[in-house]
Amino acid sequence: MNILTKRKIQNKMALSLSVLAAAIGLFWLFFILWDIFRHGMSFITMDLFTKDPMPPGFKGGGLRNAFVGQMLITLVAMVIGIPFGILGGTFLSEYGRHSRLGRFISTLSDIMVSVPSIVIGTFVYAIMVRPIGHFNGWAGGVALAIIMIPVVIRTTEDMMSLVPWSLREAAFALGAPYYKVITQVVYRGAATGIFTGILLSIARVAGETAPLLFTSFNNSFFTTNLNESTPSLTVTIFQYAMGPYDDWHGMAWAAALVITVAILLVTVAGRLLIKWRYRN
Amino acid sequence: MSKQNLTDYKDTLFRVITFGAAMVVLVVIVGIFVSLVEQSLPAIRKFGFFHFITTPTWDPVHEVFGAASSLYGTIVTTVLAMAIAIPVSIGIAIFMTELCPNFLKGAMGTAIELLAAIPSIIYGMWGLFTLAPIMGNTVEPFLQHTIGKIPYLGSLFSGTPLGIDILTASTVLSIMIIPFMASIARDTFMLTPQVLRESAYGIGATRWEVIRNVVLPYSKGGVFGGMVIAMGRALGETMAVAFVLGNKHQIAHSLLDASATITVTLANEFTEADSNMYMASLFYLALILFVMSFLTLAAAKFILKERSAP
Repeated sequence: MNILTKRKIQNKMALSLSVLAAAIGLFWLFFILWDIFRHGMSFITMDLFTKDPMPPGFKGGGLRNAFVGQMLITLVAMVIGIPFGILGGTFLSEYGRHSRLGRFISTLSDIMVSVPSIVIGTFVYAIMVRPIGHFNGWAGGVALAIIMIPVVIRTTEDMMSLVPWSLREAAFALGAPYYKVITQVVYRGAATGIFTGILLSIARVAGETAPLLFTSFNNSFFTTNLNESTPSLTVTIFQYAMGPYDDWHGMAWAAALVITVAILLVTVAGRLLIKWRYRN
Repeated sequence: MSKQNLTDYKDTLFRVITFGAAMVVLVVIVGIFVSLVEQSLPAIRKFGFFHFITTPTWDPVHEVFGAASSLYGTIVTTVLAMAIAIPVSIGIAIFMTELCPNFLKGAMGTAIELLAAIPSIIYGMWGLFTLAPIMGNTVEPFLQHTIGKIPYLGSLFSGTPLGIDILTASTVLSIMIIPFMASIARDTFMLTPQVLRESAYGIGATRWEVIRNVVLPYSKGGVFGGMVIAMGRALGETMAVAFVLGNKHQIAHSLLDASATITVTLANEFTEADSNMYMASLFYLALILFVMSFLTLAAAKFILKERSAP
């Protein structure tokens, strides 16, 4: 009887600890989100989106330059990253499905997903900034694309592998060549999944700061010329939060709120899309 | 006949294009390695390898550079963050797979995923403005008055509690890796066959005994692999620690001292490096970080592969 009670108490204690752990996890999430909302909301104004920063110390101004710069850099990353990612994923799922090289590259992509993004920043600095002699927006886009490619490759591969092999065989039986089978059968079956992968990869790179620090750098003026250093929301947050002025801190909170909400919305949309597509 | 040739040609073309796109990953990895080695050559020649990683001096003025202080900061923050994150994330995973009522499961999963999706710069900024004052004003004085009084152990908490230190940085870092580790642990726990669980319940085991003696042993390889991946990520995390670590090149003995990691050094000093040797040394640091995290992640992949192919 004694040992039974002991086991019961042990059980209760261990389970309580696990509930406590879950509560800690949720606590951080709500603490962080609440804090960002609390500080950020009061600084969200129209000026934030329509005006450029004032010189340090002056009141007012906004972050229009950073919003536009962030979009341009992300756009460059998408234009490079998405095609390479989808095509590379296609190779891994189809032509390279059983080859050693295919498996090897798939594993490498998995590793690449977690390689420190700041190292990618130094790499792009070495190939695209140092030779040119100045920071430029293109380099930022390329750095983000390098982070994006393995993410898109792996999700594309996984989503295409989920398309049943018999579907491909049915198309082969009609005499379709492999590229037609891929583009007309497999891509259609995996379209939602691939699209979601792209959404999530955009959410991932949109919040990256470290690879932009030495590539696109920052710029307190409005620019659409990617040949010069280009502002981005994330680097602006870094600079403003570390800076000495209170209104800089406020703007950093506001930018943080905008970027967090945008990324969380995209993430949730992606998850819902996947659930809806694969609910059976 | 010529139509057949055209089709073959198109198929080959598509194959070559997709092959090229997949090879980009390999090219980039080799490219990173080669260019980092090339850029850091002056520093490699001047300081060597063992001398570089054991020298704690980081003196841009006299151009004497050593990686020891940054390496030390990287390893200490990572280890401490792992020590905080491992129990919490395993607890979360147990809660999600074994205890959570069904209607809460979806919400809990989404919450963890959202926590994982928040960009690291947000964690860093939040750490600077919210967590650091709390740590500096409340938590750290409290730790000094309790654990700080114990001989030997107390020296870990000596110094002035400012909130910008190793302890705060590790806490932020642990919050960042908890969702990642928890979701990996949850996924591996769920792989435990229901039959195994039920047979343990059938002979009268309590829930905790089922978790401890059936679920955990069954999934230990997967959980371990997941932790090593999380460690690889923590090693290279930049923005979450850049705000709250202080970027001070020293081998700190107290957890309440400022320090520097490789990533923080790079983030703060890369754009300011004014001499070739300074630049080369920073590239050398980046190279060491790249090799370190690459090997860690590759080891994790290897562990997970060994496990999935019995």
